[in-house]
Amino acid sequence: MVEVRGLSKHFKEVKAVDNISFYISPGEIVGLLGENGAGKTTTLRMIATMLKPTSGTALVNGYDLIKEPHKVRSQIGILFGGEVGLYDRLTARENIRYFADLNEMDSKEAEKSIENLIKLLGMEEFIDRRVGKFSRGMKQKVAIARSIVHNPSVMLFDEPTIGLDVTSSKIVQDFILSCKGENKSIIFSSHSMQEVEKLCDRIIIIHKGKIVEDGTLDEMKTKYGQDLEEVFLRLVGESR
Amino acid sequence: MNIKGVLTVFNKEIKDLFRDRKTLVVGILIPFLIFPLIFGLMGRGIESSTKKVEENLKIGVVDKGNSSLSKFLKSQQKVTVIDSQDIQKDVKDGKVYVGLIIPENFDNMVNENKQVDLKMVMDDSSQSSMMAQGSLGAMIEAYSKEVVKSRLTSRGIDPIILTPFTTSIETVSKEQGGFTKFMMSLMLPLMLLMYAVSGPLAAAIDLGAGEKERGTLEPLLTTQTSRMNLLFGKFFAITVMGVIGVISSIAGLMISMKISPGVFGGKGGLSFPIPALVIMGILTILLTMVFGALELSISIYARSFKEAQTYLTPFTFIGMAAAYGTYAMEIKNVSLFLFNIPLVNASLVMKELINGLFNPVHIAITFVWIFVYAAAAIAFARYMFSRERVIFRT
Ligand SMILES: Nc1ncnc2c1ncn2[C@@H]1O[C@H](COP(=O)(O)OP(=O)(O)O)[C@@H](O)[C@H]1O
Ligand SMILES: [Mg+2]
Repeated sequence: MVEVRGLSKHFKEVKAVDNISFYISPGEIVGLLGENGAGKTTTLRMIATMLKPTSGTALVNGYDLIKEPHKVRSQIGILFGGEVGLYDRLTARENIRYFADLNEMDSKEAEKSIENLIKLLGMEEFIDRRVGKFSRGMKQKVAIARSIVHNPSVMLFDEPTIGLDVTSSKIVQDFILSCKGENKSIIFSSHSMQEVEKLCDRIIIIHKGKIVEDGTLDEMKTKYGQDLEEVFLRLVGESR
Repeated sequence: MNIKGVLTVFNKEIKDLFRDRKTLVVGILIPFLIFPLIFGLMGRGIESSTKKVEENLKIGVVDKGNSSLSKFLKSQQKVTVIDSQDIQKDVKDGKVYVGLIIPENFDNMVNENKQVDLKMVMDDSSQSSMMAQGSLGAMIEAYSKEVVKSRLTSRGIDPIILTPFTTSIETVSKEQGGFTKFMMSLMLPLMLLMYAVSGPLAAAIDLGAGEKERGTLEPLLTTQTSRMNLLFGKFFAITVMGVIGVISSIAGLMISMKISPGVFGGKGGLSFPIPALVIMGILTILLTMVFGALELSISIYARSFKEAQTYLTPFTFIGMAAAYGTYAMEIKNVSLFLFNIPLVNASLVMKELINGLFNPVHIAITFVWIFVYAAAAIAFARYMFSRERVIFRT
């Protein structure tokens, strides 16, 4: 469970995130929808304790991100879009294992978790090969495994499908749905209403650091009509 | 910070660096090979031209009168005297190393106690010719002394009146290899400083800016490990790479001293007392740590490999400047003040140690300072690693 309370982040004069509050329940996929520069990445980075909020806080499974950042990090996994960010000279297994170790798992735990992920993601063939020459799809699987190896109960996805081909996008989307199946709390950021509509239970629309709409798909459709793409454009257009 | 976390990062970085061929070549192989290559080539050149001239000194002679001087030259060992038609051409073509023109009436003039004008022909662009000219000059001088001697004796005078003094030389440094020592006191500080700077460089760039450029830094920061674990794991890995670089360059230097001793002024091997070696070793490792920490701090600030390289290249010049600044310094009367200047102090202490001087005050001042630099450099790195502005610089 994630509970965001009045979170703000200012970079000098820029109010990247401006006093936002929302919550996510276990087993729920929440879409954080916004244009480029809306403040999605900054929000997720604060929840992940990578950035210190200017004001406000968030509770992750009851742990306060200001007071117990280490505990918070043990509860969350993050998958970033764009570059997968793997170590080319390490094998897939070594890449995943490094993150298991950094997340302070003991050796047995880590090995077991990796074996599970190999099966889950179908990585048997390349798990002990160096990542450098992998296809994009293979790398994506390794990045996914790395983000979840310590079995977090909260998953943050920051535009994870950006720049991916259809196959790799499918891998990521299936993975997000499988996280939901495991009752994790999931935030999924995107700039595409289409994608959010397909995956999410609830949508939070963020614009210039502020939340402009928060509701389930059904609520939005009854409030604004069937074409949500149109709704998104209107909402972010209004406050321009 | 905890040891397990630091070790996790350290092990991964070392594994990663050792799998990178570029890092290995630049950081270990080149430092190892550079001295044997340079000195090997230089040494071969010098040794071979010396040997050629020593074994067979070819002298071209123009001597119509078949003088006693050319007979004297012919009687010398390892000398070949060749009658020459065109002496300038023969010297130029290298047929002979040096030429000698003896006037036709040489013997008569000598007998009549007249001064004879001899001409030597040499090629001053050739190492061999210059050496041969020296040897020929010495032989003529010896013959001239013989002539003087016989003149004096024939007049009933003891030739000893020509040499009122004899001199002999005694060197102060008791051991052999004084010249080697001199060379080493010039080169070793220069090298050690330069490698303390450049040894950790490649690794620092890879582990800081490289991590940003590959997009691996952000995932790293989401893990439970602390930023200090990341910093110190990386810092120790960089230090190890730097020290390995230093060691391989010294090993290279030692080997090149073995295979081409000529360049280092003779065969007398150089042995340092153990304490001197230990102090120099620690000094170098500490300097490597200082630079490793500084380089990592700047590398993590940079957004890309390229940017990091741009920022860090000046570092190499700093190391060189300090070493060159003390290059020609006479260590016997250095002012105490100089031991308070970064790098200059380390360079001077090394010079002293190489020359067998063991000055506890100098060593102590230098070490205190280096610990201060190391602490400051690490504090700077900690500061940089904890700043959002640095880590998420856009
Ligand atoms: N490290 C940073 N320093 C300064 N400004 C930043 C930084 N990160 C983000 N910003 C600014 O904050 C705003 C929100 O950015 P971001 O959260 O990345 O948006 P999104 O992920 O929705 O595209 C933008 O105006 C961006 O320029
Ligand atoms: Mg973003």
